[in-house]
Amino acid sequence: MPHRLLKFALSPDYPESRMFRAPSRLGDRYDVVIIGGGGHGLAAAYYLARDYGITNVAVLEKDYIGAGGTGRNTAIVRSNYLTPEGAAFYQTSLELFQDLSRDLDYNLFYSERGHFTLAHSPASLRTQRWRAEVNKHLGIDSRVVAPGFIKECVPELDLSCGGQQAPIYGALYHPPGAIARHDAVAWAYARGADERGVEIHQNVSVTDIDVRDGQVAGVQTDQGYIATNKVLSAVAGWTTSITEMVDLRTPLVIYPLQALVSEPLKPFLNHIVVSASLHLYVSQSSRGELVGGASLDPYELISMRSTLDFAEGLAGHMLDLFPCWSQVNVVRQWGGLCDMTPDFSPIMGTTPIEGFYIDAGWGTWGFKATPVSGLTMAHTVATDADHPLIRPFNLQRFSDFQLVGEKGAASVGH
Amino acid sequence: MDRRLPPADGEWIDRDAPLSFRFEGETYRGFRGDVVASALWAEGVRLLGRSFKYHRPRSLLSLAGHDANVMLADGLRTNLRGDTLPLAAGMDLTAVNTFGSLAHDWMNITETFSRMMPVGFYYKAFHTPEWLFPFHERQMRKVAGLGEISPEAEAAATPKDYAFCDLLVVGAGPAGLSAAIAAAETGLDVLLVDDQPRPGGSLQWAWRSNEAAYEKFQQLLARAELLPNLKIRSGTQAAGWYPDHWVALVDAQRMTKLRARAIVVATGCFDLPAVFQNNDLPGVMLASAAARLMHCYRVRPLQRAVVLTANRAGYQTALDLMAAGTQLAAVVDLRAEGETGAVLTELYKQNVPVLRGHGIYEAVPTFNKQAVKAAVVCPLDAEGQLQTEHTRRFACDGVVIGVGYSANVAIAAQAGVRFRFDETIQQLVPRELPAGVFVAGRANGRFELDAQLADGTRAGLAAASHLGSHTGEIAAVPPHAGEAPSHPFPIFAHPGKKNFVDQDEDLHLADFANAHKEGYDSIQLMKRYATVGMGPSQGKLANDLAVRILARLNGASINETGTTTSRPFYQPVPMSHLAGRRFHPQRRTPLHQWHVAQDAEMFYAGAWQRPEYYRREGTSREDCILSEAENVRQRVGMIDVSTLGKLQIRGPDAARFLEAIYTGNFANQQVGRLRYGVACDETGVVIEDGIVARLAENFFYVSATSGGAAAFYREMQRWALLLGHNVTLHNATGQLAAMNLAGPRSREVLAPHTDQDLSGEAFPYLGVREAQVAGVPALLIRVGFVGELGYEIHVPATAAHHVWTTLFEAGTPHGIRPFGVEAQRMLRLEKGHLIVSHDTDALTNPYEADLAWAIGRRKEFFVGSRSLQIVRQQPSTRKLVGLEFAPAAAERLPEECHLIVEDGEIVGRITSIAKPSTLGYPIAMAFLRPELTSVGRQVHVRLDDGSLVPAQVVAMPFYDPENLRQREEELVAT
Amino acid sequence: MKLVPCPVNGLRPLQEFHFGGEVRDMPDGEAVSDAEWADYVFHRRGEGAVKREWWYHVPSGVWFIAERDNRTDEFVRSYLYEENGDG
Repeated sequence: MPHRLLKFALSPDYPESRMFRAPSRLGDRYDVVIIGGGGHGLAAAYYLARDYGITNVAVLEKDYIGAGGTGRNTAIVRSNYLTPEGAAFYQTSLELFQDLSRDLDYNLFYSERGHFTLAHSPASLRTQRWRAEVNKHLGIDSRVVAPGFIKECVPELDLSCGGQQAPIYGALYHPPGAIARHDAVAWAYARGADERGVEIHQNVSVTDIDVRDGQVAGVQTDQGYIATNKVLSAVAGWTTSITEMVDLRTPLVIYPLQALVSEPLKPFLNHIVVSASLHLYVSQSSRGELVGGASLDPYELISMRSTLDFAEGLAGHMLDLFPCWSQVNVVRQWGGLCDMTPDFSPIMGTTPIEGFYIDAGWGTWGFKATPVSGLTMAHTVATDADHPLIRPFNLQRFSDFQLVGEKGAASVGH
Repeated sequence: MDRRLPPADGEWIDRDAPLSFRFEGETYRGFRGDVVASALWAEGVRLLGRSFKYHRPRSLLSLAGHDANVMLADGLRTNLRGDTLPLAAGMDLTAVNTFGSLAHDWMNITETFSRMMPVGFYYKAFHTPEWLFPFHERQMRKVAGLGEISPEAEAAATPKDYAFCDLLVVGAGPAGLSAAIAAAETGLDVLLVDDQPRPGGSLQWAWRSNEAAYEKFQQLLARAELLPNLKIRSGTQAAGWYPDHWVALVDAQRMTKLRARAIVVATGCFDLPAVFQNNDLPGVMLASAAARLMHCYRVRPLQRAVVLTANRAGYQTALDLMAAGTQLAAVVDLRAEGETGAVLTELYKQNVPVLRGHGIYEAVPTFNKQAVKAAVVCPLDAEGQLQTEHTRRFACDGVVIGVGYSANVAIAAQAGVRFRFDETIQQLVPRELPAGVFVAGRANGRFELDAQLADGTRAGLAAASHLGSHTGEIAAVPPHAGEAPSHPFPIFAHPGKKNFVDQDEDLHLADFANAHKEGYDSIQLMKRYATVGMGPSQGKLANDLAVRILARLNGASINETGTTTSRPFYQPVPMSHLAGRRFHPQRRTPLHQWHVAQDAEMFYAGAWQRPEYYRREGTSREDCILSEAENVRQRVGMIDVSTLGKLQIRGPDAARFLEAIYTGNFANQQVGRLRYGVACDETGVVIEDGIVARLAENFFYVSATSGGAAAFYREMQRWALLLGHNVTLHNATGQLAAMNLAGPRSREVLAPHTDQDLSGEAFPYLGVREAQVAGVPALLIRVGFVGELGYEIHVPATAAHHVWTTLFEAGTPHGIRPFGVEAQRMLRLEKGHLIVSHDTDALTNPYEADLAWAIGRRKEFFVGSRSLQIVRQQPSTRKLVGLEFAPAAAERLPEECHLIVEDGEIVGRITSIAKPSTLGYPIAMAFLRPELTSVGRQVHVRLDDGSLVPAQVVAMPFYDPENLRQREEELVAT
Repeated sequence: MKLVPCPVNGLRPLQEFHFGGEVRDMPDGEAVSDAEWADYVFHRRGEGAVKREWWYHVPSGVWFIAERDNRTDEFVRSYLYEENGDG
């Protein structure tokens, strides 16, 4: 029993102080205003304060911190991306994650489980090899494995998928693939930013952005006007409502993404299992719940409603792979929003509007990018120049016909 | 001691059907109609489960699935809810998540350390030093979870069904029954569902001892009986509401997907628990649970009880308990004024102490801490705080809690009803109803029986009016008058910190104060940090308590505090119910059985199944494929290409339309000739290719890739609209079969079986003819993906087998063999033909794919043309080229998608490879940086193990670059 | 399952449909700059609004236009492309 816990036992009063300061009044002027109190926005605030000494920063969150994608995703971290640009970016994120609990002094339950992306066809297997080879080139631990190895690691898996459809030919195996406690990432960054002087304002909605002569001048909120010359939009699924305020055209379209969770079961599934063909990803949380998700909903919608189609489809695919889960009870399903780009890569960095920075296009892969997005966006906001890691992801690439090839052959990953 | 009560009308148990079962190794008896918990309780078993975190002894609490205290395993089935699980003979049950045994669970030791484990403790420990976290994590994973899943567990295929009705009524209590009847009497098709085994809801327990109520109940059932358009499904939960009144109904056997036109939600309330020290001990139960035990299962709940209440219904429970033979140690009323009238007189008559303005400070455990031996009662001060200096102790074996209610809003909230907290009744009530959604009864804040019935009728008629089957006035039902049925804050602090708010998660009162102190001060943050409501019962009992606590901590109202979002499912749903029978649609060509009979190794190409190759005794896969390919080169082979997309384009604008769809020119194409077509998307990326045959001036026939045909056809249809072209499109993919007869002897095989003159003059290369083949009308196309003289023969699917077998027999003397997709891939690679989405990816443009020749010059427009103008100006980054490997490299050859690396940099990627080929050496197609693509250039491909293998850039096609094999005779003729 | 109004087949379950994205007017490629063309090709009107969208009824092969609020998922109306929504 770590002795840190003894203080709880020995203190007559609860010995913990506030993680973040109680809400104060919104100020009149900030050096930087960050719209969106999710993982990305809070991480950017943390690194702005820590690395650049910029602390006169307000994070504006229209709901509660972590209310959006941060608290709705299935908390998978991996770096086995297809393009060198993507892989390098996510590898930096993964490395930051590995050290993040210590850095933020908060146990994020970062747990390396090993990540399988199953291939149900030779074509899919060759795409996995492509990823593996690019990953290896960048020093990322990633390889193509045979069905026997998968079965050894995940004995419950039915490699024949019930025999009525394509079997499993192999997988991309990525040992550093991990899961983490998603909410805690937001809280820990919030605490770190707050300790350094950043103000976090929950329940504040941005209603307009004041742009004068192509330069940001301020932000209008439902609680008053704030003067600022730098605004970072880090609102993922709500980005289109922010970019509309500054008349910025983007390729973003919003799709719902859903997930579900089972009752707690004694932990048995030690790995993260993903099947693009079956539109499924699943892992078992530290509480013993099976947490699973599927591909995007089939049409655009800016709403987090649930659909039965999703639950039916995902349960069906789970049983294709894990027939012994038939009696496992699903207790809850939920939804989140994904801001999708045409090339499955984010949109990050400077924009044609001076002082307006964007961190968007997070699609289904935003959580795993939390630390690196914070780090690189902090750099970008502080220096007014795109961090090298995110240069390929600038919004300008669409006007230049310079898309990132993350879409690969056609496969979708999570 | 016999705890069963004498038989009574309406009891749920069938005394003629005694059942024997086992629990934790002991044999017990119950009746059909019992749930496991009621049977065990009747047998005197109090300890039924252990809690998630501290492994505290737990037992029945709601007896209705509102808590998850009794989680059981029976053989391979686990996480069974003991308080709703129907008893069946031969069950062999154990409690889940116990270490040792249920009675002696050594993990209960964690309780000793509970002071070290306040809310969120795990966020603050174990992460340093980092190298130790995996160890801590393994320990945590050992103790996490509830039931254990067995890999042997049965793979169930559970059929689903569909249902339709005008009106769905959820909840068959007094309001639901009367709503369903009122609506059905207007002629609507009504479905009434209830998760309990019988209709009646609280009429069966809360109101059961009231004879007048019971009579009304029987009358309702009789009226319902007379309505053929009213169906009642008991034992069926409305698990989730989805847009357009699509509702998941779940019973033990299946899920029914219901489409309704409107919905009445009459889901009633959960009992609001009270929070005091040891409120989780076996013997502490909700009033509704005690009533269910007495009236449904006919079990005496306790021997000697303390009743904690704050409303009149609690007094009725007390009287019911006495009638059932339970002694009352005391009735403790949180209200200063208490109750008056007949109920009170009756209690006094029986010498039951009634303590007004008092609360329970703690339930005192027995020595083994698995039962209650007394309740400690204190007076409340004006602020509602317990005055702990004045305690009275009442010996008892349990506490019955009836302090109020929380509305069961799950389905209503999912259906879009917005709620507000009504201070006058201390409960959520609807504030805003979407069209077609109605709420009635206790969930609508109506508590007197007559009001519940009237409110049901009102809602039923309102729904009928919405659906057009009722006109006229609908009597409004006045809101609840008088005292609030629920206590505002039945929550009491205790230094012992075993006053639980959420029993699923072992969260006690101080956890909330601590989380709040740390800044988790909104309901959503509180939920996520403290995990309240996140357990298996999803906070049915805990959520309203949590909101009350947080509102106090914030000094805010309940309305300001808000609630969490209601999400499906109301009660857990097994995956097999959701998954159903899991149909996997497959597409098979008309020749499928022939391939199987010829021992083809079939593989899935999307939904299609295709022969990969044909197995031959004693021959390896690789050799089979090579010999199939060689047979095509040397003699003749035949492949089933029925999976190709086969699209017909007719109309005056047909040629113009294809010029827009494809990159090439088609206006000047001669009738009876073929061209190759490449299609791009709007961004200029190659998405499709195929042949384009002109069958008549205004009639084209085009092929598309097997995987892309449906989408390509769909996009063609859209472009036809967008461009306003006068064309008619038809997707004939499934109607027609196609086979490719290829090889130097193909003409000899085909000639005797067709009326078409196959001479080069009459039917040249890239010609297309309508002719008879084997007596069947066919389309003959002279093209060869594989690079030999060949004929693609398209015939009606029904005739495919006849044509195929006729040609196969005709070809036997010529050495014909079928060939599969693998041999075809090898042969086409030798010819340098790319496969879209195999050799190209999601960003490949025609210039990179060496398809610039297929782009028509001087064309005004085709899909992607303007984008390609832009792309073309940019420096090219890659080009598709041919590579060849030294024959000696055979042992060390790359796989497809291995990378080409020069000076430590990625410069290319293998897209296709033929390791053996009919050429006698390995060849590949690869993307390569343009500056490296000069013929003769050596490059290096990196293998799995990191080693490099050299390859040389060569011109494509590798085989027959002059194309002599396919058009020999034309050349001879000229 | 969500019901989608097809102007030809009436209200049918979502599963029978393919979503085709927002309706965009293609500019004259010759008349616009590269940047304007890129804007047409890649950029979308992604914000919450009632939008004109392409929907395709797969079993019957019918493309049509639906006006739908992408915040509430309510279909306002639907019509065939050539009908322009006025009829």
